[in-house]
Amino acid sequence: MITTVSLKDVLLDSTKEVFETMVFMAVEESLQDGTSLDAPALLATITFKGRLEGCLGICCGQTCASAVAASMLGMASGEELGANDVSDAIGEIANMLLGAVKSRIQNEVGNIEVSIPSVVEGRELRSSLGEGSSQVRIRVSIEEEHIAELSLLYREGCNH
Amino acid sequence: MGKSLMIVDDSATMRKIIMRTVRMSGLEFERTEEAGSGVEALEKLKAGPIDVVLCDINMPEMNGTEMVKQARQLPNCSGTKIIMVSTESAQELIDRVIADGADGYITKPFTLEKFQEKLAPLLN
Repeated sequence: MITTVSLKDVLLDSTKEVFETMVFMAVEESLQDGTSLDAPALLATITFKGRLEGCLGICCGQTCASAVAASMLGMASGEELGANDVSDAIGEIANMLLGAVKSRIQNEVGNIEVSIPSVVEGRELRSSLGEGSSQVRIRVSIEEEHIAELSLLYREGCNH
Repeated sequence: MGKSLMIVDDSATMRKIIMRTVRMSGLEFERTEEAGSGVEALEKLKAGPIDVVLCDINMPEMNGTEMVKQARQLPNCSGTKIIMVSTESAQELIDRVIADGADGYITKPFTLEKFQEKLAPLLN
């Protein structure tokens, strides 16, 4: 079974890969664990099942989400994005993050099936998988300006 | 005559990103189209031939693997090059979708160079 320590590295490496290649923004792990995310926030989640099952999430404030979406779409400053564009972009980041995580762990856990991402907006957002699950949560600094929280909740699946 | 391209992905954001990446790759298409699902893509393929299709796999309504299978039954699609663009990276799935009729596979996240490597040979 994968260890929590290695999954933290996997999640961080995957995040850096996605943001560097698809979003064109630099990401580093943030040590500001105590600060709350800007509200209202967006939470994009995507679930997976197989020998390992669970949910990957990315949560950030609206300002951060808009900046990420604008960079991802190569928009010039001043151009405005609609709420649907921002939501779609954050959902797609969750999708690519799980894809990157999956490619790093599939030799150990085998293939996992992935859902379509979903995005919600609100305050104090957190994903949960219930009892018997493990979790990795990390905060990242994006371009040293924005904070986002990444979560990977998981447990052994029925197919193990 | 110039080539035509269709991008199939349920995410409008990803369709824009792929379109931008194609343009940045220096690859030129005379006509470009988009479809938000496998069903919509098949309708467009039935309406007329398209040279290159870039298609996601995980989509609601009809996923990309089913779209490829059905597209290969269409008379219009005998010469169409279909490249899958997906976060799915399991070799078993890649082999299966190639066997079903896809001509290539690009995993997301992708680089500009990967697009050039996969698409440029199809345009010559």
